[in-house]
Amino acid sequence: MISLVVNGEKRSLDVDSGTPLLWVLRDELNLKGTKFGCGAGLCGACTVHVGGTPTRACQTPVEAVNGQEITTIEGLSKNGELHPLQQAWVEHGVPQCGYCQSGQIMTAAHLLEQNPSPSEDDIVNAMAGNLCRCGTYHRIVEAVKSASST
Amino acid sequence: MAMNRRDFLKVSTSASGGLVLSLSLPGCATVDTGYSENAGIWRPDAWLEIQDNGNIYFTLARVEMGQGTYTGLTTLIAEELDVEPASIKPRFAPVAKEYLNPAYKLQITGGSTSVATSWEPLRRAGAEARYMLMMAAAKVWQVETDNCSTQDGRVVHPNGIDSLPYARLASLAASEIPRIEVPLKPRSEWKYIGKQMKRLDAEAKATGTAVYGIDIEQPGMLYAVVTRPPRYGAKVKSFNKADVTVHSGVKDVFEIERGVAVVATSYWRARRAQRALQVEWDNDDAITLSTESVFHHYYKDSEQDAGVSEREDGDYAQAEEQAGKVLHADYEQPYLAHFAMEPMNATAWYKGDAMEVWASTQAPDLGRIAAARGCDLSPGDITIHTTFLGGGFGRRLTNDYIEEAAAVSYRMKAPVKVIWSREEDTQHSPCRPAMLHRMRAAVSGNKLEGWHHQIVGPQILDWYITNAAPAQYPWAPKMLYNTLGRVGLAAEGLATPKDVSAIEGAIDYPYQVPNVELRHTHSDPGFPITWWRSVGYSHNGFAVETFMDEIAHELGEDPIAFRRARLQNQPRHLQVLDRVAEMSRWNSASSSGRAKGVAVFQSFGTFVAQVVEASIEGGEIKVHKVWCAVDCGQVVNLSVVSDQIKGGILFGLSAALWGEITLADGKVQQSNFHDYPVMAMHNLPDVELDIMDSNEAPTGVGEPGVPPVIPALGNALFRLTGVRQRRLPLKATG
Repeated sequence: MISLVVNGEKRSLDVDSGTPLLWVLRDELNLKGTKFGCGAGLCGACTVHVGGTPTRACQTPVEAVNGQEITTIEGLSKNGELHPLQQAWVEHGVPQCGYCQSGQIMTAAHLLEQNPSPSEDDIVNAMAGNLCRCGTYHRIVEAVKSASST
Repeated sequence: MAMNRRDFLKVSTSASGGLVLSLSLPGCATVDTGYSENAGIWRPDAWLEIQDNGNIYFTLARVEMGQGTYTGLTTLIAEELDVEPASIKPRFAPVAKEYLNPAYKLQITGGSTSVATSWEPLRRAGAEARYMLMMAAAKVWQVETDNCSTQDGRVVHPNGIDSLPYARLASLAASEIPRIEVPLKPRSEWKYIGKQMKRLDAEAKATGTAVYGIDIEQPGMLYAVVTRPPRYGAKVKSFNKADVTVHSGVKDVFEIERGVAVVATSYWRARRAQRALQVEWDNDDAITLSTESVFHHYYKDSEQDAGVSEREDGDYAQAEEQAGKVLHADYEQPYLAHFAMEPMNATAWYKGDAMEVWASTQAPDLGRIAAARGCDLSPGDITIHTTFLGGGFGRRLTNDYIEEAAAVSYRMKAPVKVIWSREEDTQHSPCRPAMLHRMRAAVSGNKLEGWHHQIVGPQILDWYITNAAPAQYPWAPKMLYNTLGRVGLAAEGLATPKDVSAIEGAIDYPYQVPNVELRHTHSDPGFPITWWRSVGYSHNGFAVETFMDEIAHELGEDPIAFRRARLQNQPRHLQVLDRVAEMSRWNSASSSGRAKGVAVFQSFGTFVAQVVEASIEGGEIKVHKVWCAVDCGQVVNLSVVSDQIKGGILFGLSAALWGEITLADGKVQQSNFHDYPVMAMHNLPDVELDIMDSNEAPTGVGEPGVPPVIPALGNALFRLTGVRQRRLPLKATG
C-alpha cells in the first residue's frame, strides 16, 4: 500500500509501486489537471509539488514519494479563491491550447514561494524547463511579474 | 458572400421551450451525413440555443486547439445578439452537415479559415435571433418591433424604462419570423469585435479543469498502447504474445491493422508490459529511405521531369537566353514534426450497434471514417465527441489514433483509451513533407527579368483522400473507401478543392517581374506526410523570400528597397513592409555582432512582414528581436490575433533553428524533445507586433506568422556571416 497526502487529503492506494506518480494522480485519483507531455522529464507538463518542491511526476515512481505531501494544480487554489498566479493567467489571457499551463503554473508557484519578487532573469531561469508549443512565453513572464507584485 | 436568410436559417423550439436557430452554410455538400437527430433538449444541428432558463448555448463548429475559436467565434455571435460573450456557453459540435467547413466541404478546422468563413453567417445568426426576441417583446408590449432595442441580454421597451430578459422571450421568439433582411450592426456600434477581450477558456485552462481527449474517463475503461512498425509499410509477421500477457493487469495482446495492441487495466501496466513485446516484422513493403535518398530522389526526378506548369507569365526561357547573368539556388527543406503538447490519443466505446469516440481531433468527420475502418460499423453509427485539443498544428487532421482506439474497443467490446508516447508520436506521425526548391533568375544589368521556380516534392492530398473522400460520402460501402479516394483525386476539385499544398505561396509570387514560371515536379518518396502549420507556405516562403534576398545582394541593392520596387501593384504587401522597416529602424545599423534580415509574405489572405535581428554567440544562433507588421483585415479579437501571430513566429523559429526529422534505413531518428528541440523560455526573442487597422473582411491568423520568420532569420544570418544557407534548419556557421 502507498499512502500520499494529495492536496491536503490523505489517500491510500493499492498500486504497482513503480508506477509513475503522474499516472497515479491522473488515473487512480482522477486528478486530470496534471498532464502527460513527454514521459521523459523534458517538457514540464507534469510538474507537481512534492513536499513543496517542483517535481516531474512522469519521472517519479510513486513508491519514492510514499508518505509525502503532493500538491497538484487542483490543490493550488485555497478556500474557493484562485491562486494569484491563476488570477494573473486569466487576467493576461495566458493559455492558448492550455495543455502545458498546469505545469507552468506549478513551476511559477514554487518560484514565487522562494522568491516573492523575482527579476525577469529569475523568471526565465525558473521556467526554462517548461515547454509550450503555442508560444505563450511572453505572457507567462508578464503574468508571473504581475502576480509577484500583488 | 451573399446569401438569403431563408436559405441558411431554420428556427424551431427546443424541448424545454427555448429558441433554437440552426444554420446550413452555402457551398456545403447536401449528401446525408448519416447523422440522426437525437430527441432531447439539444438539437445537435443547432448553432444557437436560447433556453427559457437563461442559458445561451452556442455550438462551436471549429475546434479549439489554442488558436482561439472558442473566444473568437463566440464573440461574433455575442456581438449581434447583444450579450456579453462570457455569458454564452460554447459546446463542441458533433459530426453533422451543418458544421462542414465551407472552404473544404469537410468538417475540419485548419487552413486559418475559421473566422473568415464564420464572419458573416455567425453574425447573421446572432442578428436574426436578436430581432426575433425583439419581435416577441413587441408583441407582449403591443409596440413596434423597430422601436424596441436591446441591451446586454434584455429587450428594452420604447419607453427606455421597461425591459424583458431574453430568457422570458425565448419560447415566444421561436414562432416569430423576421419579414425583413435584418441588418448587421455598423462597425461604429461594435462592443466586442476588435476590442481587446479576455479568452473565454482561460480560467478552465489555468485551473486544470479544461477537458482534453486524454482526460476522458468511461466506466470500466481499459487502456491500450500500440507497437507500430519501425519502418513505414512493414506488417506484423509474429509476436511473443505469451511473454506479454503474463504481466499483471494485461487483458489481451493482439494484432490490429496498424500494429500490435497491448490492452491492460491501466496505462502504466500496458506500457510496462509492452516492453516485453517483441514483434517480428515483414519488411517486404517497408520503406528503406534515408534523408539522403529522399533528396537524391528529388534531384533525380527534377532532372527527368520539368513538372507541371502552374504559372507562366511572359517567357522565362527567352528571358534566360537574353539575360546577362543567370542565378541558381537549390533549397532543401526537411521533414518536420508537429510536436503538439498533448500526445495523440483517443477513447472509443464499441456498443454492438453503435460506437462512441472521444478525441482531440481537427477533423471529426474524417475521424468517423477512421473509426469505421477499425470496426464493423458504418460512419452513421459512430458518434465523435470532440474535446479541447492540446495543440493541433495540422497533426490532428490525420485520425490514425482514432482508428486504433476503434479497432481495440471493437475487439475488447469495452471502452478503451489508446495513448501514444512522445516517442511514438515522433516516430509514427505523418510529417510536413521534405521539399526541394530549384530556383533560377535571369538578370540583365540591375534588372530582374525572369524568375523560375521548380518545386519538387509530394502532394498532401494523396495521403489524405482515402479518408476525406468517404467522409463526404459516408453511405459508401467500406470496401470502396480507397477507390473513392482515387476517384476523388482523379476528379480533382470534386471531392475537395485542388491540392495546392505544394505550390501555395509560390503560385501567388507577388513581385512584378516580366517573366515568371512556376513548375511542380510531383515526387513522392513514400514517407507519410500531412498538413503542418502554414503547409505549402512554410517551405515556399523560405524559397521565395531567400532567393529574393540572394538576387538583391547580387544586384547590390538593399533587400527592402529591392522588394519595394517590385511591389508597386501590391498595396497590402507594401504597407506591412514599410511599417516593419519603420518599426525595426531598418536603415540604422544593428549593434556590433548582430544583423537584421527581412521577409514579406502573404498566406491565407493575411499579409505579414517581419524583420529578425540575430547574432551568433557561443557557437549558437541567438535571435534577439522580431519586428512584425500584420494586415489580417478586420480584427475580431486583438489578443487572439496577437497571440496567434506571436505564437506562429516562435513556431517558425523552432523549425528554422532546430526542426528536422531525419530518416535512416526507413526509420525516424528523433524521439523526444531532447533531439527535436523547440523554443523554450531561455531562447525567447523579444517580439514587437503591429496589427494594422483595416476594414477588409477578416482573414486567418493561425498560420501566417510562421512562413516569413524562417527566411527573415536566414537572411539576417547571411548579412551577419556572408554565408548563404540553403538548407534548413539553419546552422551557426560563418
